[in-house]
Amino acid sequence: MATLESLPRPNGGVTPWKVRSRSVSIIIVLASAIPAAITFGIQKALQVPGPIALLLIFLPIQLVSSWIAAAATRGRRGIADASLNVVVLFATTFVSIMLGSVLYSVINWGLKAISPHFIYQNNVYVTTTTSLDYGGAGHALLGSFLVVGLATVVAVPLGIAVAVYLTETRGRFRSPVRFFAQAMSGLPSIVSGLFIYAVFMASGISRPAGWLASAALVLLMLPTIIRMSEEVLKLVPGDLRSAALALGAPQRRAFFLVIFPAAKTGLITAILLGLARVVGETAPLLVTTRVNANTNVNPFSGDISTLPTYIFSYLTAGFDTGNARAWAAALMLLSVVAMIFAATRMLSNQK
Amino acid sequence: MKRTPMNTRQVAKGDRAFFGISSAASFFTLALVFLVLIFLSFRSWTTFAEQGIKFVTGSTWDNTTNPGTFQILPMIVGTVLISMVGLAIAVPASVSVAYFIEYMAPPRISKIATSLIDLLAALPSVVIGLWGMMVLVPQASEWSGLLTQHLGFIPFFRNTSGNTLGSPFMAGWTVAIMIIPIITSVSREVMSRVDKELISASTALGGTNFSTMRRVVIPTAKSGILGGILLGLGRALGETVAIFFVLNLIFDTNWYHILEPRGGSIPSLIVAKFGETTPSELSALMAAGVVLFIVTLIVNMIATSIVQRSEKRMAS
Repeated sequence: MATLESLPRPNGGVTPWKVRSRSVSIIIVLASAIPAAITFGIQKALQVPGPIALLLIFLPIQLVSSWIAAAATRGRRGIADASLNVVVLFATTFVSIMLGSVLYSVINWGLKAISPHFIYQNNVYVTTTTSLDYGGAGHALLGSFLVVGLATVVAVPLGIAVAVYLTETRGRFRSPVRFFAQAMSGLPSIVSGLFIYAVFMASGISRPAGWLASAALVLLMLPTIIRMSEEVLKLVPGDLRSAALALGAPQRRAFFLVIFPAAKTGLITAILLGLARVVGETAPLLVTTRVNANTNVNPFSGDISTLPTYIFSYLTAGFDTGNARAWAAALMLLSVVAMIFAATRMLSNQK
Repeated sequence: MKRTPMNTRQVAKGDRAFFGISSAASFFTLALVFLVLIFLSFRSWTTFAEQGIKFVTGSTWDNTTNPGTFQILPMIVGTVLISMVGLAIAVPASVSVAYFIEYMAPPRISKIATSLIDLLAALPSVVIGLWGMMVLVPQASEWSGLLTQHLGFIPFFRNTSGNTLGSPFMAGWTVAIMIIPIITSVSREVMSRVDKELISASTALGGTNFSTMRRVVIPTAKSGILGGILLGLGRALGETVAIFFVLNLIFDTNWYHILEPRGGSIPSLIVAKFGETTPSELSALMAAGVVLFIVTLIVNMIATSIVQRSEKRMAS
């Protein structure tokens, strides 16, 4: 079927409907520049506070000027479009500044405090007066890997098995399972931590330890893995399944030899998204683990630090080098998340 | 690998095991949701029994008496209020950004922005909390002062405490920054699935961008966007560490004075009180967790059914 995009187009990329005459361009530039200039002038002259100037002076003037410009170039029909453009651009600029500020602060403050030894040293000899030349979050990075790794080892087979149940079998409970797996994605992370506390710690089975945190993270990871894996498995063409079964393969062989290989990259992406979801979780770790200045390689016993709880503990402490350490650890955490995302991008581009 | 032909009984056995394992995993997952509720209710039973309905309608928290008085109305109201402030900021912003990325930005920018938004949607909340405390609070405290000064006659913005820090407004802003990427990501995804030919047809019939948005894009994407908003709401209700540092915990119900530093939120309460507690207080915190879970469960079930219905409609 010919879509609009595939229809023949004039040669040389000529798009006559996009050509703008010079006078129109000038009007657009003026319509954007004048309100900014007026606002700047009023703001300087009357010393109006910035946010008020932006919302109550700039935005209305910009709206009116865009209406005038639109009416001049496209007639009355352009006025609604002009408002749409102004409002959307205003909101987008606002969001870009806010989110840009988050990224900028983490990178800026983080780079100031981070150094090679920060990534591998632990916190044993660090006090409130220790300079940033000593100590680091290496133990917390290792702790995060252990806790999240353990959670992944449990959640991935479980999640994929559920996705297989949802897509490959004709089990009778598919729709309730799907519904509750989705409902679980709304489980507040603190409640997941409390649940693990109620089961294992309040009953005296275990002291705070890494594996309890992993258990809490499994609950948070499962819904993501289930949903993503289900979508990936659904994308495998039904013909492949039928062909494998028609050749006499038992269902499990059809799955492991045909469907699973076809869906492999997608499943890895699902796992990575699950990882990204939990690697920065803090609340359940606060309930189930205690921070430790020393390196602990055993997630099954003893206090263990993770990057999120490391950041949290320095935030509650509230002293200058502590804050710097928190920023540096935040940069490390952000880099881990960014690496996970780069990996998912690379995988999905490979196909 | 040597392949031996299998007889039908072996085939049936293996496939039954395959089916058995995947069903077992599914029932385990199904059971987990109920286990969470059962275990937490079990641990918090004493609180529900001792405090009765006053647990959710009263506003006193006192662990010095015996038995203690534990009532969390201010926290419930605070949780909802913060989420509402967060949504009020995040929803218009997110939908606008999604529209910008999908329909206005040049292809290159929209590609980069899409990746960036997806990355930011996974930004750890503790990082947002750090940013909120160090960067946002000094700014937002100024805005909060301006609002009181110029719009104080509106009851929402009245603030008689003389303090601009630790209010639901601050927490709401922080939450908004956290959920903007989430709602944007979902809305953009839904908008990108609106049939391109419908849009071209609307333009060809003489529709403007605005009328196309109002008559084609929004009606088609409406339920998907709503699902994204409810997803963000679920996150906002359960958010703990991002608002822990920017919010005051005061047991005084604050219904709508968003700039006054009164009230609190359930997750913050749990984190703040968890460290050193008496057993009965711990049980009360568990009970607060149960209340929070039930609220988010309801929000999420509504979201799921809306999204599933819209997907069904889009498919047909």
